Amino acid sequence: MANRTDPAAKSIHGTNPQNLVEKILRSKIYQNTYWKEQCFGLTAETLVDKAMELDHLGGTYGGSRKPTPFMCLILKMLQIQPDKEIVVEFIKNDEYKYVRVLGAFYMRLTGSVTDVYRYLEPLYNDYRKLRLKLSEGKFCLTHVDEVIDELLTKDYSCDIALPRVQKRWTLEACGLLEPRRSALEDDFEEEEEKEEEEQAMDSVEDDTHEKASIPFIFLCYNYYRGRSPIRERDRDRRRDRQYRDRDYERDYGRGRERDRDRDRDRDRERDRDKDRDRDRDRERDRHRLRDDRDYGRERERERDREGRERERRDRERGRRRSRSRSRSRDRRDRDHEDGDHRKRRTRGSVSPRRRPEDDGSTRDEPKKKKEKKEKKSDGTDHPDPEIAEANRLRASLGLKPLK
Amino acid sequence: MIEVVLNDRLGKKVRVKCNEDDTIGDLKKLVAAQTGTRADKIRIQKWYTVFKDHITLKDYEIHDGMGLELYYN
Repeated sequence: MANRTDPAAKSIHGTNPQNLVEKILRSKIYQNTYWKEQCFGLTAETLVDKAMELDHLGGTYGGSRKPTPFMCLILKMLQIQPDKEIVVEFIKNDEYKYVRVLGAFYMRLTGSVTDVYRYLEPLYNDYRKLRLKLSEGKFCLTHVDEVIDELLTKDYSCDIALPRVQKRWTLEACGLLEPRRSALEDDFEEEEEKEEEEQAMDSVEDDTHEKASIPFIFLCYNYYRGRSPIRERDRDRRRDRQYRDRDYERDYGRGRERDRDRDRDRDRERDRDKDRDRDRDRERDRHRLRDDRDYGRERERERDREGRERERRDRERGRRRSRSRSRSRDRRDRDHEDGDHRKRRTRGSVSPRRRPEDDGSTRDEPKKKKEKKEKKSDGTDHPDPEIAEANRLRASLGLKPLK
Repeated sequence: MIEVVLNDRLGKKVRVKCNEDDTIGDLKKLVAAQTGTRADKIRIQKWYTVFKDHITLKDYEIHDGMGLELYYN
C-alpha cells in the first residue's frame, strides 16, 4: 500500500513514474529503513523538510548496494508526483543546495526536454560543493555544476538510468530553445582580446570559409547583450578573418589547460580587462568547444555544421603555421588536434575527451574508449581470431592482453 | 589464460576468456561487454560467497572452466 504510486499521478515517459527506477533498485529502496521510517506518508510539504535534512548525494553503496536517502527521496517524489511549480521552487531555492539538486534530478527524470534544459542550465552557475557517496561507501567532493553537467550529458547518474534528452543543438535548430548563453562569455572575450593584442596579425583567410562559420553565430555567449545574429555575422566577417587563424590554434592549446583546471582559468579570465566592443563569435565558439561542460555538445555541433571544410582548412592553416613563426607547443598541439579532428570525423558518438598530457606524443588514440598506446603489442593481431577478438575487447576496456 | 563460465539461471550463460591475474572487477567488465548489462550492476557469486572487485581470480582459486553464478545488484 505504501509503495503504490499516487492513483492521481500521470504516467511519465509512458510508464508508472516509479518504474523510472529499475526493479532491483526499487525493491532495495522499499526494504530500506530510511524509506520505511521517514518516507511513510510524506506529502510535498513534509518532503521539503526531509530534503533540507539531506547532506549527501549518491546512488547505492556497499556490498549489498544500500541506497542513499537521496535515492529514497527521489523515489518518494516519483511516487507522490509534486506539481511542476513545486519542483521549480526546489530548483530555484538558493539556500539549500541538496534541495536544489534533488529538484534538478527530479526534473531531469520527469520533465520535458525543453524544461530540462531551461531549468537545469542556470544551475551551471552554482559552484557550491557537494558531498557524493561513492559505491565503496566513501565520500568524495563534487560541485553542483558538475552534477548538473553529468545530468545533462550522461545517461546514467546515481544508479538511475536517465531518460534520453536530445542534444541541445537539435532543439536550437527546431527553435525550441534559445542559443546557449553562458555567464563566462565576457571572461572569454577578455582572454581572446589579450591574445590578439599580444600577437601580430596573421595571414588573412579567404572568404569562402566564412560561410561555414555562420551557424556558429547562433551558439554565442550572449548573456548580457541581445545582439542579433545578423550583426554578429557581419562583425564576424569583418574582424574575425584576421584573428581566427591564430586564435584557433592557440585556443586549442589553451583549451586543454582549461579542461584540466577550470577554476584556475576562470580566475585568470576574470582578472582581465573588459572590452565589450570586440567581435567574439569565432573565438568564443572555439573556446566553448574546449569548455568542459559543452565539450561533447559543441563537438558534435561543429562536426555536423561545418563538416570537412573546416577541418581541411585547419589542417592547411596548421601546415602554413608551422612554417611561419609560432610557439612550438602550439605546433605540437595543432598537429595533435588536426589528427584528432580527422579521426573524430569518423566517429558517430561524442565523448568529452580529456588530454592528460599536453605534448604531441599521444597522437595515436583514435577510437578507443581508454588510451591504449600499445595497440599493436597487445595481442590484437594474434593468429587465432577468437583470441585476437578477445584481446581487442580487452584493449578497449583497458586491460592487458590474454596470456 | 583461463575460461570462466557465468550462468544466471535465467537464460544468460556466458563464457569469458580472461587471465588469472585479472581482478573480479575486470571480469565484470568483460561480462558486461558480452551481456550488455552495466558492470556495476553485476554481482558474481559462488553459492553464498560474493566475490569482491579488487581481488584477483587467482587468489579466489578460480580455475579454467569453473562455473560462477551471475546475479544482479
